[in-house]
Formats: sequence, structure tokens, C-alpha cells
Amino acid sequence: MALKIIESCVNCYACEPLCPSNAIYEAKPHFLIDSKKCSECEGDHADPQCASICPIEGAILDAFGVPINPPGSLTGIPPEKMAEAMAELQAH
Amino acid sequence: MELPILNDQPTTKGGCSAGSCGSTDDQLSHLTDDIREKVQNHPCYSEDAHHYFARMDVAVAPACNIQCHYCNRKYDCANESRPGVVSELLTPEQAVKKTMAVAANIPQMTVLGIAGPGDPLANPERTFATFRALSEQAPDIKLCVSTNGLALPQSVEELSQHNIDHVTITINCVDPEIGAKIYPWVFWNNRRIKGKKGAKILIEQQQKGLEMLVAKGILVKVNSVMIPGINDKHLSEVSRIVKEKGAFLHNVMPLIAEAEHGTFYGVMGQRGPTAAELQELQDQCAGDMNMMRHCRQCRADAVGLLGEDRGDEFTMDKIEEMEIDYQAAMEKRKVIHDAIALEMDEKRVAKTQIAQERQTLPKLSTRPVLMAVATGGQGVMNVHFGHAKEFLIYEASPDGVRFISHRKTDLYCSGDSTCGEAETALQRNIRTLEGCEVVLCSKIGYEPWEQLEAAGIQPNGEHAMESIKEAVMAVYRELAESGKLEETDEQQRVNA
Ligand code: SF4
Ligand code: SF4
Ligand code: SF4
Repeated sequence: MALKIIESCVNCYACEPLCPSNAIYEAKPHFLIDSKKCSECEGDHADPQCASICPIEGAILDAFGVPINPPGSLTGIPPEKMAEAMAELQAH
Repeated sequence: MELPILNDQPTTKGGCSAGSCGSTDDQLSHLTDDIREKVQNHPCYSEDAHHYFARMDVAVAPACNIQCHYCNRKYDCANESRPGVVSELLTPEQAVKKTMAVAANIPQMTVLGIAGPGDPLANPERTFATFRALSEQAPDIKLCVSTNGLALPQSVEELSQHNIDHVTITINCVDPEIGAKIYPWVFWNNRRIKGKKGAKILIEQQQKGLEMLVAKGILVKVNSVMIPGINDKHLSEVSRIVKEKGAFLHNVMPLIAEAEHGTFYGVMGQRGPTAAELQELQDQCAGDMNMMRHCRQCRADAVGLLGEDRGDEFTMDKIEEMEIDYQAAMEKRKVIHDAIALEMDEKRVAKTQIAQERQTLPKLSTRPVLMAVATGGQGVMNVHFGHAKEFLIYEASPDGVRFISHRKTDLYCSGDSTCGEAETALQRNIRTLEGCEVVLCSKIGYEPWEQLEAAGIQPNGEHAMESIKEAVMAVYRELAESGKLEETDEQQRVNA
């Protein structure tokens, strides 16, 4: 059981110092989690620390590959709104 | 003719005397002497100091522990830098090396700030490693830091150990209801806490941190982002509270919310304030934006004095190769800093005298005139016309002298083989002075003199090494007294 960081990570360094298992490391092109070390914070914290500070929706997946912070959950921007705004920008 | 004027405050506000330019005594009068002294020597607050002292920022701490609705972490902290201009992220060791290299090569460098992206105190290891090393190895450099305040109370003790010049806290509200509309979440005690509850924690920590800093005698400046319909009506209350608690300045900044930055406010169509709304609120809060009129929104990683960015000389690969004898540099810096302090003091005294004398002069009723000044800094007229890299444009009027803008030139004579093209480049330079009636410089050659006159611009080299503002006013008085500035004057018709 381990969490996973995917390519939408912006390398903000926030998660790395919080990990009680030292499972997170700086890598190119983005930070990664060593799945052998990650304990999902079991026994240390109620919530997985990396996913609790990460500002980027969708950047961290749970053991089943599901985003812990799905679109809209952190920014409060409804996903349709975001899609709409981006589509409009592209049209220009 | 429409002139590119950077500020649109009416002159009738009284020019410098009403504080529309630089940090006038008026604006600083509510401060205690020691705070005033610090502010007057700080390049970001004092227009005077800006000519003498330089500051630089380094980005070492990209993590953040809250989310603001005006920030998208793909960019720098929207708070402190312009979005999209991502600063170079340094390790603490690199930051220390860079700071010392710059301080050794640019002795006027006095202040080092730790800037975005991120919240420096959310990343205390990296931030304090930088501060610790600098306090030890470069004790003549002052440090400053900007924070959202969440981790501030636990950092105050450590901050007070260093050479901290001031701390900036961004405080947008003191009411959790309003806070919930600005901050979707904060990370607190190992949990992400959303909504009003999160905002309440942030507000409490900010206020506590402010009080603790003030109790330690550390200068605190408060920044607020004005968000129409959200906190615009609330910020005068914020201002009252933070000043009561001892913040020395409250600076209200406009929300910048373009959709393309992908921020909550940007995407949801939240508008920023109009210039008039911002001005009104700043007046209410007596914000220091006026004081920052000389601010050129340096890139976060710009290095050097007013108008020069020497960042290219200090890239990491160049710095790695530099050998720096900081002890020797520090001795040199001390001599230069002392001389600057003396000069600034003398000028301050002279200024007061002149202001007193001026009160006895009859009030003019002439039209305003734009004048260009060739200067290399220090607030004095010290550059040869042909060597000016830029001109500072001032407006002189019966109300005083106010700074309007900078205009870059191309050097028309660099004294080398490029002189062959002197004529066209000189013409170009003269064009950059469009709208100005006078150009002041330390010296000027015969040829440019003639061409300037032909273009209707009067060159003046009589005030070399004098204070810019005094010289501009003196020239204005001469023009006024010789009757050249009557509204119906010939010159006016020619210019129109
Ligand atoms: S879930 Fe916990 S242990 Fe696993 S990487 Fe994240 S912070 Fe580390
Ligand atoms: S907190 Fe998120 S965005 Fe930041 S480094 Fe970790 S995974 Fe990447
Ligand atoms: S404090 Fe700065 S970096 Fe953090 S979310 Fe707010 S604007 Fe962004």
C-alpha cells in the first residue's frame, strides 16, 4: 500500500519534509514516492501528510490510483468552470 | 500631446508636499524616530534611499502551508511577485553565496529578502539556514521576510536572533467569514482544514505573530490584497487593528486576477479594483503605495541599484567561480555606507532649510513643465548628456517637483567606434525626451546642445552635482520669473 505522485506535481517541496517515512524524494521531472517506504502515514498521522498539504488537485493518487484531492476539492473551482475558462482562453 | 505618465494623481494634490512622491516627511511623521530612520534608509520605502541603496531577493522556500484564492502555485506567490515570472530557486548554500557575491561587488546592497514562490516560514529549515549563515558571515546585511503568518508565532524567536530589518505579513481580513472566501484551506497540526475553521486559525496566528514581533521590537509591515465585494469594505478595519497593534506600515495592493493564471478568482470572474477604488481605500488606510512610487516592480531576482539589473553578472555558474574575501568587502562596504549616511543626513538638513526658505517665496501661478534629468543615481545630477542610460522625468509646477517616470535611452556616444552613428542615435535620444521642455545634465556637448534647442528642448548643465529636485525647482523658478510660463505664452503654442 502506497501513495503515488504523478506528473501534475509542480515540485513545490511542501510534501517532502512532512513525510514521517522519508518516502518522498526530489526527482526529475517531479517528486516521487518510494512505494516500499510509504506507510500511508499509518500509525503516525490520521491523514496522509503529503496529500494533506499538496496544493495540486490530482497530483497524488491512493493505492487504487484514485486522486485523493479530486478536481475542485482544493481550489473550490467547479471542474466545469475551469474547463469553460480554459476553453475560452484557448479560443482567443 | 498625450504623455506617458505613470501615475495619474492630479498635481493639485500638492506635488511632493502632499506626499505623492517618495517618502515625504509628511507620510513618515507618524513614525517614531528610530523607525523613521530605518525606513528612510530602505530602498523599497524611501525614494531617497532608493538612489543609494540596493536590495535583492532570493527564492529558497517554495512550499506553502495555505491556499489563497488569488494564487496558483504553478507560478510564484502571486502576492509578492508578478505571476508568470518564476524566480530561480536556490539552495540555502547557493543563496548565501549569491548574496555575499553581490554584496561584495555592489557595496550599496544592504537588504536581502527571502521571496516567493511559497511561504518562507512554511519552510523554516531552508529559510533559517540562509538567515543563520548570513547573520554569521555577512553581519552587515539586513534581512527581511514576507509571510502569510500561519507559521509566524513559532518563528518569532528564531527571527529575532537574526539581523532582521522587517517582516511583512499579508493580512487580508480579521473576520473568518470573510477569510473563508479568500482562503479555501490551511494546513494546520498535520491536517488540511477547510473553510471558516481554517481561516479562523490563520487569522489568529497572524494576529498573534504580529503582536509577538512588535513586542520584540521587530518592524512589521502589513500587506493586504484588495478584493472588491470580498474584503474591500473590511480593510479599513484591518488597517485600524494592525496599526493599533504596532505595524509600522499598511500597504494595500490591488487584486490581480486574470483568468489565464488559473486562480480561483481568475476563473470565477472576480474583478480587481479600479484605480479610483484602490486610491480611495489607500487614502483611508494611509497605505504606503505612494511611498513606493519609485518602485519599478523589479523582477524578484533583479540585482543592483535603481534602473540597473546586474543579475546577469551573478548567475549561479559565475558565482561558483568567484573567490570572495568578505572581510575585506565588509570594510569597504562600511566606508561607503557611512559616506552615504552622512550625505543623506546633510541633504535632509539642507532640504528642511530650503523648504523653510521656499515658504517665504511668492507663490507662482504658472503651468507645469516636464523636465528630463540625466542621473546615475544618488538623487544628484551627475551624468553627462551623452552618457545617460536613462532620463528621469520630473514635473515641476507651483506645487513642487514630482517624479513622473523613467525613460530609457540608447547611448549615443560610448566613446568608441560606434561614434560613427552618433547622429542618428542622438536623434533617437532626443525623441525619447518628447514632451520635455528642459533637460538637465552634468555636462553636454556642443552638437547635442544645438540639436536639442532645435527640437525645442532647453539643455541645462548649470546644476551639475546638485540635488535633482532642488535643481529642477530652481530652473522652474527661473523659467517662471522670466515670464516663459504664462498660459498664453509663445512656447505653449509652439508645443501644442
Ligand atoms: S502517505 Fe505519508 S508516508 Fe506515504 S508518502 Fe505520503 S507522507 Fe509519506
Ligand atoms: S506537495 Fe504536491 S505539488 Fe508539491 S511537491 Fe509534493 S506532490 Fe508535488
Ligand atoms: S501565501 Fe503566497 S504562495 Fe501561499 S497560497 Fe498565498 S499567495 Fe500563494
